[in-house]
Amino acid sequence: MALGTDTWIIGLGEARTAARRDDVSITELAWEAVEPALEDAGTSLPEIEGAVTASQDFWDGRTISSMSVNELVGGVFGSEAKVASDACLGLGYALARIEDEDQHLNLFLAHAKESQGDIHTIELAAFDPYFQRALGPDDTVVAAFQAQLLYGEGLFEPSHSARVVAAARARSSTLEQLSAQDVLESPATADPLRQLDRAPLVDCASALVLADGDNARRLGRTGVRIVAAASRTAAYWSQRPELHTAPEARAAAEEALSIAGWELSELDAIEINAPYAHQHLIIGHALGLGSGDALVERFEGDGNGPAVNASGGWLGGSAGSVAGLHAVVSVAQRLRQSGGRGLVHATTGIGCQSHHIVLLEATA
Amino acid sequence: MTPVRSAIVATGQSDHGRRFDASMGELAREAIDRCLGSRGLTFDDIDAVVAGNMEMFEGIYLVDQYLVGALGALGKPLYKMNTGGTVGASTALACYHLVASGRHKRVLGVGFQKQTEGSAQSAITTVGDPVWERAVMAGAIGNFATMASTYIAESGVTPEQAAKVAVKARRNACLNPHAHLKLPNITVEEVLESEMLAYPIHRLDFCPSSDGACAIVMAAESIAADHAEHPAWVHAVATSHDQQYMGDSPKRLAVMRSLQAATKKAYKLAGVTDPRHDFDVAELYEPASYAELAWYENVGFCPMGGGGDLIDSGVTLIDGDLPVNPSGGVLSTNPVGATAMIRVAEAADQVMGEAGEHQIPGVRRALATGYGGNAWSDVMILSRELPATPEVSA
Repeated sequence: MALGTDTWIIGLGEARTAARRDDVSITELAWEAVEPALEDAGTSLPEIEGAVTASQDFWDGRTISSMSVNELVGGVFGSEAKVASDACLGLGYALARIEDEDQHLNLFLAHAKESQGDIHTIELAAFDPYFQRALGPDDTVVAAFQAQLLYGEGLFEPSHSARVVAAARARSSTLEQLSAQDVLESPATADPLRQLDRAPLVDCASALVLADGDNARRLGRTGVRIVAAASRTAAYWSQRPELHTAPEARAAAEEALSIAGWELSELDAIEINAPYAHQHLIIGHALGLGSGDALVERFEGDGNGPAVNASGGWLGGSAGSVAGLHAVVSVAQRLRQSGGRGLVHATTGIGCQSHHIVLLEATA
Repeated sequence: MTPVRSAIVATGQSDHGRRFDASMGELAREAIDRCLGSRGLTFDDIDAVVAGNMEMFEGIYLVDQYLVGALGALGKPLYKMNTGGTVGASTALACYHLVASGRHKRVLGVGFQKQTEGSAQSAITTVGDPVWERAVMAGAIGNFATMASTYIAESGVTPEQAAKVAVKARRNACLNPHAHLKLPNITVEEVLESEMLAYPIHRLDFCPSSDGACAIVMAAESIAADHAEHPAWVHAVATSHDQQYMGDSPKRLAVMRSLQAATKKAYKLAGVTDPRHDFDVAELYEPASYAELAWYENVGFCPMGGGGDLIDSGVTLIDGDLPVNPSGGVLSTNPVGATAMIRVAEAADQVMGEAGEHQIPGVRRALATGYGGNAWSDVMILSRELPATPEVSA
């Protein structure tokens, strides 16, 4: 018997990602992902027994942000539970709902319409209200502290981050291509960061239909299995002197790989998701993918091993809450064609506080 | 896989009220310390943490990440649930699923809210449709006024009968050391003479706005008996929602379709055929006095339209045949992120025989409900008996 879960991804769907989707509401944007996922799975809403969603009230400007999508995931007289984090953490909860036989067919959705929010106001609200907010910080300020520490260690330099951005843009289907030089010459934001070091805000949504083994076989869709999910949370950013490290990412990956019985070297696809370029270097290094030029070459697809972030990742056009799921969709699509094993990383919180890992497998 | 039979083995609550002496983290930690301390547990014993809080109420985005230390989640999976008034129950349900699935053996659930540091009603107003609903049904009071008016018209329930619920709650609260609003001498007349907030809701018909926190530990069968002499076994959980906007769910409150659907599922799974007699106690999420009367009907404690008669009969008093909210309920304590978890924790305490002065003698089976959002309902059935067959429902 295979190690890990008996939960299968049987449907994939994504909305059209763009910087502004003024043509659709949040509900309509989410439906753009849900409808093709259901069709791909060969099922329909009446068959869905429950849903788990991922989104954030602050970005949607509304308490209980999942109310906007409750109806379209089958939540009326059904069950929907929202996890306010990256979708890869929510996916762990959806797995639990299937593993304890509470649900046999689950719809999993992540959505964000970042164009509707004011980024500084929202990010400021994540800072300690008593001692930090008065200083007016946002994620970029902390990311700059983090980058200073990282570059000060000598393993990486700003040009490495710029190359990660360029590699992501080269694979992006929604954002324009850029060179590393473009990144380095973009306006300074907070030393040593440049404007293009950060993933642009976008409107997007991704959806999966998940099934237990019996239903995956019934529907003839035993293509991609979720093998394991794990997560670890670090201290709040200002209580982390080693802000430029990510031992929690490594611990989560080690747990997931242990469940799967896999080695890192056996992976055919690796996706790392974070909002700033240098954070990809921190996480990649923590996962054991190398350092300096060797790690950057993995992002560029020229390194020793499969390309990291073949989807383009968050830097190639995704959003908080959705990025991890966008990567899961991308890896699942590839594994359906080629077979193999994939690892998706995602993060939540200021300066990458929580790290989530999902492992996927398919037989070609 | 076959679900792992799971039980609540420890609970803890902060002292609820206007807690200017404690920060959000300190409130959460007060509940956690009491919960873990009651069983000699430490954070090292916990595999994962599930946090429940409505972030816009205090205006702290990613509050779970901010309070990770206070929540004991350093180095662990930290889930953040966010489902409105039901969030405390949704958090408890998440604890259950994470254990029943076999993913973890001991999960800590924490619900918390410090409403004196924010504007809950402003946040709740964003629940409504921005064009049609927000201006006329702002906040929780506007919503309940509209629903209670409908309920009066449908059922014939009287303001006096609703006031009896308000009196019952605040008197029961006097037996609960954690409760916020304790009014030992409150009368029906006093309720009816209190300020009219929005017809037919008087000030004393409505819940307070509280600071507070609640914590539970959910444990797998293999270790539950190590922590509690009488674990509160989960026999069924269920969740159901109604349409997003009130205009799409006619007669809401009088006909609470999501609560009917959730209890129907849960009762079937737990083998409950006569809820009026199959439960020994219930903790129902009643933000307004009228809501408790309507819930009596919608959970099947009496026929539809019989809620007023049931409170008149005295059955739901603390010394009645089926006590409802012996803790004082939401009408006495309402820190929103914790409120629905308090229902679950109080029901668990009753089953474990650890409810103190408001313990109902001989409790074997208890019902807990959560209410919130666009008429969402969570249900959990707890029992002193180990489930014969582990079953849950969507």
